[in-house]
Amino acid sequence: MSDLALRLPDRRRLVGLAVPFVAVVGSMLVGLLLIAASGKSVPDAIEAFLDGAFGTSFAIGASINRAVALALVGLGFILAFRANLTNVGGEGQIAVGGIAATALGLWSPVADLPLGLAVLVPLLGGTLAGAFWGGIAGVMKVRFGTNEVISTLLLGFIALLMVYWCVQSTALLRQPQTSSATLPESLPVPGPVKLPGLTGDPESPLHIGLVICLVLALATAVVLQRSTFGLRLRAIGLNELAARRAGMPGGILLVVALALAGAFGGLAGAIMLQGEQYYLKTGFSSGYGFDGLVVGLLSRGSTLGVLAGALFFGFLRSGGISMEIMAGVPAALTLVIQGLIVIAVAGSVILVERLQGGR
Amino acid sequence: MDGSTGSPLLSLQGLGKRFGTLQALEGIDLEVAAGSVLCLLGENGAGKSTLCNLIFGVYEPSAGTMTFDGAPWSPRSPAEALDRGIAMVHQHFSLVPRMTVVENLMLGQVSGMLKRHEFGARIRDIAESFGFTLDPDAVVGELSVGERQRAEIVKCLMRDPKLLVLDEPTAVLPPGEIGALLDICRRVADSGRAVIMVTHKLAEIARVADRVAVLRTGRKVADESMKGADMGALVHAMVGRELRPLDVALAEADDGAPPAAPAAEPRGFALVCDGLTVHDRHGAVRLDNFTLEIRPGEIVGLAGVEGNGQSELGMVLAGLQRPTEGRFYIGNAELTHAGAAAVTAAGGGIVPEDRHAVACVTALSVAENMYLNKLPQFTRWGLLQRRALNAAAAVQMKTFDVRAANPEVAFSGLSGGNQQKAVLARELTLDPLVALVAAQPTRGLDVSAVEAVYRQIRAAARRGVGVLLISSELDELIAVADRIAVLYRGRLVGERPAQPAERPAIGALMSGQGA
Repeated sequence: MSDLALRLPDRRRLVGLAVPFVAVVGSMLVGLLLIAASGKSVPDAIEAFLDGAFGTSFAIGASINRAVALALVGLGFILAFRANLTNVGGEGQIAVGGIAATALGLWSPVADLPLGLAVLVPLLGGTLAGAFWGGIAGVMKVRFGTNEVISTLLLGFIALLMVYWCVQSTALLRQPQTSSATLPESLPVPGPVKLPGLTGDPESPLHIGLVICLVLALATAVVLQRSTFGLRLRAIGLNELAARRAGMPGGILLVVALALAGAFGGLAGAIMLQGEQYYLKTGFSSGYGFDGLVVGLLSRGSTLGVLAGALFFGFLRSGGISMEIMAGVPAALTLVIQGLIVIAVAGSVILVERLQGGR
Repeated sequence: MDGSTGSPLLSLQGLGKRFGTLQALEGIDLEVAAGSVLCLLGENGAGKSTLCNLIFGVYEPSAGTMTFDGAPWSPRSPAEALDRGIAMVHQHFSLVPRMTVVENLMLGQVSGMLKRHEFGARIRDIAESFGFTLDPDAVVGELSVGERQRAEIVKCLMRDPKLLVLDEPTAVLPPGEIGALLDICRRVADSGRAVIMVTHKLAEIARVADRVAVLRTGRKVADESMKGADMGALVHAMVGRELRPLDVALAEADDGAPPAAPAAEPRGFALVCDGLTVHDRHGAVRLDNFTLEIRPGEIVGLAGVEGNGQSELGMVLAGLQRPTEGRFYIGNAELTHAGAAAVTAAGGGIVPEDRHAVACVTALSVAENMYLNKLPQFTRWGLLQRRALNAAAAVQMKTFDVRAANPEVAFSGLSGGNQQKAVLARELTLDPLVALVAAQPTRGLDVSAVEAVYRQIRAAARRGVGVLLISSELDELIAVADRIAVLYRGRLVGERPAQPAERPAIGALMSGQGA
């Protein structure tokens, strides 16, 4: 993994790390000011944040699980971005992955499969569903020239409404309606379908999704840096005409790139469902697709950058939720703070480039 | 017209520039007088563009000093150069194709309210005062290359520069427009400004230069007044070996061997075009019922003024555009609708007309570009064997004389000639290679690169490859091809033997007479 940050000389590396760090701390301070301005107790908010992000083994596990979903979407994003394709459909890809995983998980033959296949089959199903969803955008791009930003985004809305449809209709995935109070949700997936925990600690929700994510991150880094496929993606992203002239199957590569991005999103959806939520409901994807997109964008194509960004946002999200519940900080305000941090990080990346790029 | 009035406008003392390990320029002393044209002559990669970029403030020199207009000159940016009175026309134009001339020229020069008419009138005035016309309301994308270049020149002249730098202005021009450009250069100099023009075409120097300086591998090897300059000596200085007139050089590149006696019995054709017709998206006919058969070992030249269907034919044969009608075959394979990959697989080597848009990915390395179509050879378990790739590329770079620090440098860092040699190397090493389609393969290349390109093409033909050579330079076609077909308004209007005596007949065909 020849990550840029690892090759820079020491002083440059220091600048490269210090500037984003200062930016993040600065934007967090601004966030605290905002909390103070809204009349909430700042110490309470900080305590709630730390507690929610790192306070207990449950909190840490939940944060890492969040990071896993974000990282998967981010990895898919940088893969497609290598071919100059911007996949903004992570949200929808998570949704179709969740639908597929739920459907397979609730199908009784699957739960009876031996050797962990009960876990794997829904995971694979979710992955394939996501790949299909991303692939549609790829085919539209190649056949009709539809810009993938638009198609992935709109396909995302369709997928979100499909979740709604699935959990509203008993003919699809809605649990049997026993009374008028039955919620529009699916049944929970049975035990064998749930992802096994990673630690022996029954308190910790940390599951094997982390291992899957790290393996895929390594694979992504190898594909991008070392593989012929990665070079082809790059070539087609830089100059499609020349890549096609050199005999590369241009259309197929673009479809595969978007399908891969979708596959990562679909897998993230399946992992979210089988790992923590266990049943499908409206709003199940809860913005992870868009946060994952931000993680991918900020990473600037680096796999390590995706992992770091995903961890950061994972803990931030946990802490934010806790601030909302425990300290009464409005949800909107935590979103504002998140936005500030994104801008600060993105801005600092540009600043570092200026500082280091000058001849 | 006298280039020796008092102190020079620009003088360079011991100027040097180093890029990493590459010494691009070293110890350059040079003077340019107001009211004169200095021609910078040199092969690809000799350092001409680097020198211009130093003067224009794109790069900062690593050694030496400059004096401009009586004061020390150490620009930190092109903006500073423009403010001080230095303007430059780059090889690649910086105009927005969808905007009109006046809109383009207003970019960056006006703020606040846009006074289109006033500005347009100024454009017209400036153009007229230098003896040419330019329609300010024409959309740039619809202008010819020459007109776009004139727009660039007006853009520079609007700032009333003391020094105008032109980086290879003639490389992009069709032959008919070169004369007009040289006249403009002369008039700009006559208005009291200094002009630096980079070129490697000797005929142009004779016509326009007051002084000529020759660069070779980053050093100045000659610098003399044009009066009494010996052309032979200049070329000798430029390439470091005896001048041989182009056709002599090309003949010698042939090693004296006769064109391959077409293998015992002609095994069919290498390339067959059968009634190829291309309509553009507006329905206009760009290529009209084009039929041509090329045997193995044969070099067929396709002559014609640019814009008469050559580009369309090139795109079709490259597998990048589907013809409206007709078919084409390489060897025995019909490839009309098969696409670029199939053309390559069938043994069709393609040297595209537009190197940057079609032939290469400039941000990738030299090695990656040289093997862009053969990556599977260097792939094991899906992983690219980079070391093997770079090693193979290093060997090929030696064989085809592609000069770069190493195979891993970015392709964009190579000079035009070396880029072209690399593309040629990639296409000529296809296995099998049945036919080669080379479109304007020597455009913008210096004499020795031209020679290298044609030597390679001839060698390929001797190995039994059928070659279609598309060029607007008739002399080259006559020197290299076995026969010459002429394209006019998308139609094949005639075919002549490739002999100097046929020049008038071919010229007549190219201009649409005698068809």
